[in-house]
Amino acid sequence: ETIKFAHWVPPAHTLTKSTIEPLQAAVEGSGLEIEVYPGGELGAGPLEQYVRVVQGVADIVWGLQGYTSSQFPKTMVSELPGALPEGMTGYDLIWNAYDAGLLAEEFPGTVPLALWLSEPNVFIMKDIDVRTPDDLQGLKIRVSGSAAAATVEALGATPVQMPAGEIYNSLQTGLIDGVITGASAIGDFKLDEVANSYTLNAPLGHISFYVVMNQAKYDSLPEAERAAIDSIAGRALSQSAEDGWNARAQQVIDEISATGDNTVYSLSADERAAFEAITHPVTDEIVSGGGYEDVLKTMQGM
Amino acid sequence: MLGIVQKWADGLTRLSALIGTIGLLTEVVVILVDVVGRFFGHPLTGAQDISQMAMVVLVFGAMAMCDKVGGHISVDLFENSMPGWMVRTGDVISALLGAVIFLGLAWTTWDSAGLSKMLNLATNIIGLPKVYFQYFIIAAALITALGMILRAISLFLSPLPHHGYKEKA
Amino acid sequence: MSQEVIGLVGMAILFVLLGLRVPVAFAMFAVGFVGNWILNSPAAALSQLASDSFSLASSAELVVVPLFILMGNVATETGMSRKLYDAAYATIGSIRGGLASSTVIACGGFAALSGSSVASALTIGRVSLAEMDRFAYDNRLSTGVVAAGGTLGILIPPSTGFVIYALLTQESIGRLFLAGVLPGLLLLGMFILTITILTWWKPAYGPAGPKTTMSEKGRAMVGAMPILLVILLTIGGIYGGFFSPVEAAAVGAGLVILFGAAMRRLSFAMLWKAAKDSVVTTATVMLILISAYMIKTFLALSHIPQALGGFLETLAVPTLGVLAIMLAIYLILGLFLEGFAMMVLSMPIFFPVVQQLGIDPIWFGVLVVLTLEMGLISPPVGLNVFIVKSVAPGVPLSRIFWGVVPFWIAMLITLIVLVLFPQISLLLPNTMIG
Ligand code: NA
Ligand code: NA
Repeated sequence: ETIKFAHWVPPAHTLTKSTIEPLQAAVEGSGLEIEVYPGGELGAGPLEQYVRVVQGVADIVWGLQGYTSSQFPKTMVSELPGALPEGMTGYDLIWNAYDAGLLAEEFPGTVPLALWLSEPNVFIMKDIDVRTPDDLQGLKIRVSGSAAAATVEALGATPVQMPAGEIYNSLQTGLIDGVITGASAIGDFKLDEVANSYTLNAPLGHISFYVVMNQAKYDSLPEAERAAIDSIAGRALSQSAEDGWNARAQQVIDEISATGDNTVYSLSADERAAFEAITHPVTDEIVSGGGYEDVLKTMQGM
Repeated sequence: MLGIVQKWADGLTRLSALIGTIGLLTEVVVILVDVVGRFFGHPLTGAQDISQMAMVVLVFGAMAMCDKVGGHISVDLFENSMPGWMVRTGDVISALLGAVIFLGLAWTTWDSAGLSKMLNLATNIIGLPKVYFQYFIIAAALITALGMILRAISLFLSPLPHHGYKEKA
Repeated sequence: MSQEVIGLVGMAILFVLLGLRVPVAFAMFAVGFVGNWILNSPAAALSQLASDSFSLASSAELVVVPLFILMGNVATETGMSRKLYDAAYATIGSIRGGLASSTVIACGGFAALSGSSVASALTIGRVSLAEMDRFAYDNRLSTGVVAAGGTLGILIPPSTGFVIYALLTQESIGRLFLAGVLPGLLLLGMFILTITILTWWKPAYGPAGPKTTMSEKGRAMVGAMPILLVILLTIGGIYGGFFSPVEAAAVGAGLVILFGAAMRRLSFAMLWKAAKDSVVTTATVMLILISAYMIKTFLALSHIPQALGGFLETLAVPTLGVLAIMLAIYLILGLFLEGFAMMVLSMPIFFPVVQQLGIDPIWFGVLVVLTLEMGLISPPVGLNVFIVKSVAPGVPLSRIFWGVVPFWIAMLITLIVLVLFPQISLLLPNTMIG
């Protein structure tokens, strides 16, 4: 049987090597074949990905929880600054809560095959070196969600909402001074052409991703094909995805460091602490405001 | 009977277009307030959320009126070489096809609205619930379909030749 | 039937429906819907109808469509468009086709503030078509100029076309933008040359006006100041970083409303009428865009692009031959598909061939964007022609399609020139970025 995997990024995106190919390899020989429809071929834009898989436009989709954050209030806790403890992986953080049954209601009608976190978010700035929260006062920073907006506001900057495709132009014209997102986005959206100062190791959280399969389709598969999917679904596929994201981020950081006309700076522990003093209380407020203390504790394995 | 239905349909079409027009003016005001506010360091929270949903309202709100004024574009390359009955057939097919499309849109959006409720879907910054805007699409699509059905009937009853979709030059 | 054959049959049915004068959007909806029903599933076809309608109608990028229409409508209602064309007429109206050439230049200017061909054709069309009518220009020339000139929006930066190409191929956006500048100016020049030849051959297409004195020119210029100021503020605001190209549409609309009210040329009733007309036009345009996405998915499911890619790989012809065949395929796909849909479908398949043959990807990007522009004005699915029709409902579509023919030929010649002289595309990116 052939099933459809739909996403909206180009085939060259990290997603292909880190996630789709391992999944395809795992089901090889089982009689199941996974056909990929990249670039939004099965439907426009990233917002409707989950709807598409539930309604059967595609059998498997990739998406970002952050695009429809109202559906994933608990999973989104994993994205917050300070949620991921030192030395822990992002996929363990999410799967701990999922395996405890805390997240099932956020994924109705589907079977999650992979849930993971991106590399840490960084400051991607034009003409401004960020070393302390003071450096951000009054700057305009592009954000994509309400939690990130709250963090940016707490840091004294002005959050600006805009589609991802507009970031490039907006950095170029100075409409925004910077963006907070993962380093891999610097490559994906060609931001290195317009930004020139990057600050790493700031406590700015992560971005979460999912790969989910239509529940009815999964249930209808013959035993052998389902077993093939089960052989990689869960933490194994999530680890492969997360490793891929981190490797891509490192590659991008190496590239922008090598060009010589960029400032790439990693905050020291003390400098980081100054940011944590501001961003961690925002996290606490969101967690306690939503009543997600148990979710966060379970995620962190406490 | 048909006359009364037609009167109601016209009224609903105007109402729908009125809501759409308000949607457009909302979009202009919201973006302007956001741009000016941002200049002074205080952008309008959720401006993008509002303008995107206003867009949904204006696009579908105007749909019935668009059809009523013959706003849908058709290819008229061969029109002059067509016999009257063929032009008529094309018009009736168009009106019925349009009605089927908009009834289908209403039907499937109803389904999708149920899913939006289940998934608690809302805009990202200020959480405008998606389901309300889908209800609006359903209402607007039904009004549009009603107008098309009425035109198909009146085309069918009227003598040849009749140009249902031909522009009013 | 194989998937590919179903795809071809679908395109044939699309032709028949369009021939029967079924509205373009309905025909594309029907074919796309049934095609997805057969090649995917009934549930999938229905679901896509709902989700594509919602996502495109709520797209953050397409928000500009009604705003630019409103700007054009208000500019026209308040007489600002009229003043602009009075000024153009006083300046170069004594030259045959002078107003058409000014319109092309206006399209080029608008292209510098908008990345979208649709927005260019909508705004310039609304402002200019009635004006060219007023000066007795043939409506084949005037609509052809706007439909073709509007396509400059994706060749002259900023360009949504280059951004999508860059994201699909991982090429540099900056290089592509620079690469579009000289070809964009070349095409603009070709359009003006086309107008000059056309009106020299048939003077009635764009009759020459009377000579004007310096003071008449000056007075006309003063009259056009408000609208020129709006344009200047809008472009300046984008490049000065005050607002984005999307927001610029709202700022432009807001400014013409403000100026109109300040000059006591705009009452609330007029504004309301302009807004109402704008949402109706928006409905026309958006429904066509949504239906184009249904066709895109149908073609993806039919695997026709893959079949074409496989065919390319079996070719035993020199690089230039493969390139010519690829561009020819784009011209053919352009008959049916909306430009960006075409790029999304084809690039994953064609780009590896391009890399393998060592074709410069920046140069190729320019060539592809130019062929997309040609697709935007070629029948039966010519998006920009539909756009012009939506703002000039009185002109038969067939007249507009005839009107674009000379410009299409001009684009073909430009394409050949760009193929033969890659340096036209590569000079700026290579000297300015290196
Ligand atoms: Na442009
Ligand atoms: Na075309």
